[in-house]
Amino acid sequence: MMIKHPFPHLSQVDREWIENKYHKVDEEFDPFRRMAYHGYEYDAATGMTDEEINHGLATLANELRDQPRPLIKASMVAYVLDHTRIDVNAHDDFVGIYSWGRLIDPYTVDPWYQEIRESVAAELGNRYYTELEEAGLGWIRLDFDHAVPDWDSLAALGFPGLLARLEASYRAKKESGTLTEKQEIFYQATHLEYEAILRLLSRMHRYASRQPFARAGRVAQSLANLLAGAPQTTHDMLQLMYLYFMISECVGHYQVRSLGYGLDGTLYPFFKRDLENGRATREELTALIACFLLQFSAMGNYWGQPFYLGGTGADGRTKVNELSHLILQIYDALGLYNPKIQIKVSKTTPRDFLNKALAMVKGGSTSIVFCNEEVIVKAMMSGGATYEEACDAVVKGCYEYAVKADSIPISYNMINALKPIVLVFHNGRDPRTGLMLGCETGDVTSFIDFAQFYNAYRAQLACVIDKTMVWVERLERHVHEVNPALFYSGTVPRCVESLTDAMDGGVHNVTDMWFSGFGSAVDALMAVYELVFEKGVTTLAALKEALDRNWEGYEPLRLRALACRHKYGRGDSMADAYACALHRFFSSRFAGKKNCHGGNIEYELHSARAYLAMGDATEATPDGRRTGEETSKNASPSNGADSAGVTALIRSATSLDLSLADSGACLDCMLHPSALQGEGGLDVLYGVLRTYHDRGGASIHFNIFSADMLRDAQQHPEKYQALQVRVCGWNVLWNNLEKREQDAFIKRAEGIAP
Amino acid sequence: MKTATIFEIKRFAVHDGDGIRTTVFFKGCPLRCRWCHNPEGIGREAQLAFYAHKCISCGECLPACENGAHGMQEGMHVFDRGACVACGACADHCLGNALTFFGKTVTISELMPLLLEDTDFYHTSGGGVTLSGGECLIQADFCAALLRELKHEGIHTAVDTCGFVSRTALNKVIPYTDIFLYDLKAYDEDVHIACTGQSNKIILENLTYLDACGKQIEIRIPYVPGYNADQMEKMATFLASLQQISRVRVLPYHNYAGSKYEALGMQSTLPADLPTDEEIRAAEECLRAHGLRV
Repeated sequence: MMIKHPFPHLSQVDREWIENKYHKVDEEFDPFRRMAYHGYEYDAATGMTDEEINHGLATLANELRDQPRPLIKASMVAYVLDHTRIDVNAHDDFVGIYSWGRLIDPYTVDPWYQEIRESVAAELGNRYYTELEEAGLGWIRLDFDHAVPDWDSLAALGFPGLLARLEASYRAKKESGTLTEKQEIFYQATHLEYEAILRLLSRMHRYASRQPFARAGRVAQSLANLLAGAPQTTHDMLQLMYLYFMISECVGHYQVRSLGYGLDGTLYPFFKRDLENGRATREELTALIACFLLQFSAMGNYWGQPFYLGGTGADGRTKVNELSHLILQIYDALGLYNPKIQIKVSKTTPRDFLNKALAMVKGGSTSIVFCNEEVIVKAMMSGGATYEEACDAVVKGCYEYAVKADSIPISYNMINALKPIVLVFHNGRDPRTGLMLGCETGDVTSFIDFAQFYNAYRAQLACVIDKTMVWVERLERHVHEVNPALFYSGTVPRCVESLTDAMDGGVHNVTDMWFSGFGSAVDALMAVYELVFEKGVTTLAALKEALDRNWEGYEPLRLRALACRHKYGRGDSMADAYACALHRFFSSRFAGKKNCHGGNIEYELHSARAYLAMGDATEATPDGRRTGEETSKNASPSNGADSAGVTALIRSATSLDLSLADSGACLDCMLHPSALQGEGGLDVLYGVLRTYHDRGGASIHFNIFSADMLRDAQQHPEKYQALQVRVCGWNVLWNNLEKREQDAFIKRAEGIAP
Repeated sequence: MKTATIFEIKRFAVHDGDGIRTTVFFKGCPLRCRWCHNPEGIGREAQLAFYAHKCISCGECLPACENGAHGMQEGMHVFDRGACVACGACADHCLGNALTFFGKTVTISELMPLLLEDTDFYHTSGGGVTLSGGECLIQADFCAALLRELKHEGIHTAVDTCGFVSRTALNKVIPYTDIFLYDLKAYDEDVHIACTGQSNKIILENLTYLDACGKQIEIRIPYVPGYNADQMEKMATFLASLQQISRVRVLPYHNYAGSKYEALGMQSTLPADLPTDEEIRAAEECLRAHGLRV
């Protein structure tokens, strides 16, 4: 999985040991199977096997079935923490939790989610929830995948301090006589989890103290400090971050986003103090940070763990510090692609720091994302954030930004912008499922001009969004019943103060609306315009026939569609204008609207892996795409549409006001290695980045490939063990991609001129 | 001169001077370099290239041609170059990108908006606009007018020239050119004639003249085994005597242009031997040894 760059601060044996911690490296690994693996076996005397824990959980579930759900979940989490095998070894600065496979899910989130879905289906009298996804029109999902805890509270209080703060809040409520039953349950459940965490720490501390090797002594000390209160050293803070991550993500079913509020920000006070006190040398801290980053790289989950580096404070000063530089150096030296570094770029970003990151991109470190701080601030403030909150924005997903300690997404829903084109051709009925998933817009063959087609598309799109939102709203009413966010809420001052679960209004509950297939939708509209109404080379009836036949027997027409002049991504005025209109259409459906919890509904021009799944289920479209082919992703054009080069690509993307995408948008930029050769190569890369940001671009990431190199990599995977590519919101090793994904990359690289 | 004949506008050109640039390629060249990688730039007249391997025999070009240059035989497209008048009408209709038209006539007012589109990229990367070819200074009046407009807009300008042009032509563009990308193929006249068909006397004189004018100059030396490989020492000595050479680039000869000759119906003159990395390194070392920046 990992790349074997030599790294003087950490021995090769240690690195291999850490790699084996999460999965056996000599066995096949699937990055898409969440936490499904075990690496080396832990000391059997330290706890139960997963099977034994499962058995215990089943019994517990039976005993607790009449209890409120927060208490059931907390008891289950506590059971896992009390019984999981643990590890401390001579090769690692961090502890091990063996049962990291979300063992509580079958007794909690899974049945509770299913129950809510069924009840909403009964209430609404439809199953749009599943039909939408089957048709490739989108998906509706409650969100337990994008939570950023309050790292400030964690750093300032540690686990015991968080528990004490919770108890103090409870006492105050009780004494004032205002405590409600719901608050009592929240308190009891959260208390249960935090107590279990402290018991786990004690267990780990005792175990570490018994080990004979020196490293265990250091681990024991970090655990002793965490048991006593707030973290004191860099090691303590990293250990705490790691423990929070493992317990929340791998036991409690809340994906943890953002390692710290900027790893360089949260960690820096500890780092500085350690150096000043002479508690650790720079080399020791380097090794420690490397060991920490390697944990995430070794897990190898495809979605990765993002964190910001840099940024600008509300005082206008850069947040880049010596630790920011060091983290980049370690990342580079280890050849990592996960966790994912996102650099907040603004005019205050030191050029040497930016140049180092750009040089890493040039050298193949394609996982680095460059975010435009100005756009982040603009987007967040239009959602109601203060300037300070916007400056302190945290990354909650692949690119998404959020207010720290005051917001959590409760659902993330996808709309495939391309599929409603298919609905237009079928008067609202989805040809795949045979269901009426859109609305009646009339017989397409009778349309007399492009305006009629365009308006029908907008009507279908609006209909799909509206139907989706009905379901989203109903599901969101129950989100806190599906997966109480106790551990998370315990970190957040507002939740603790009000003794309210974050997912139940403890903080702002945000609805995220993602938009996939954006570029493809624009191209499909433009192809109808050009082929039918501008040039008249076909009719809507003939085009419908061609699409229904998946272009079979219509190859010349398909080639004409592919050769259409107006496409998004090549600086074409007309296509870009329609792209702007579509972008605004989507944004305006949600702008200023609130969900049932009073939180914002945020729009994001980000597709995650939906460009594949939605493409799979989308029939042939007028842009020349065949049935099942992938759609465009993020704010990027469809494959091959950006034929006018990178400057035109950026002109197109920035013709959209990307700050309208409330929680983010990303452009994928592929460059040929020869474009960046030589000493001027960095200036070129800087020019592309700077211009994109100056023009109002949001996030951007780069893939530096030639088609020849990728073809060779496909044929000789053994030669390219370290080749990493930015897929969408994450990086993967080339060799972990499916062949069709590799083919799509090669096709895209073929369009990049040397 | 109100119009010019060009064969390409290349955006994100990163090898024609510093930074991100847009390069305009002018048609027509007085030299006949054996290794020419832009054969579509040699002739002043318009040309149609037909890449047979890309043709999908869709037949779209047939109705677009008034002269019957395109036909179909047994479902396969056939191209009669003799009947082609290189009007370019068919190229817009080609679905397989097999037909490319070289020789568009443009005016300055048509070109300027296109060249200004990437202005912010030029500024952030230290780039600008480069005029190249062919030999752009064959159309010196147009180039001078275009460069003047570009300077008026604050754009950095580069002129890529083979130097085999009149002093009058050169003088026209000097005031509006920030840097000359000056090609040097050989120092010895006989070698130069063998390589390009022309003497290099004017070329060396023009280079000395530009140097005396204080213009910034980047020298570009194509390295072609069997042709000019033994000229490095002499060229380096000559260049070291000049004052304004900001750097010298050795361009390894490549034969990627082979398919272009065929597509244009031209006789390929491309040499067979390619330089090795060691040869290129040695050539660069030779230049460095004379104090030149490579």
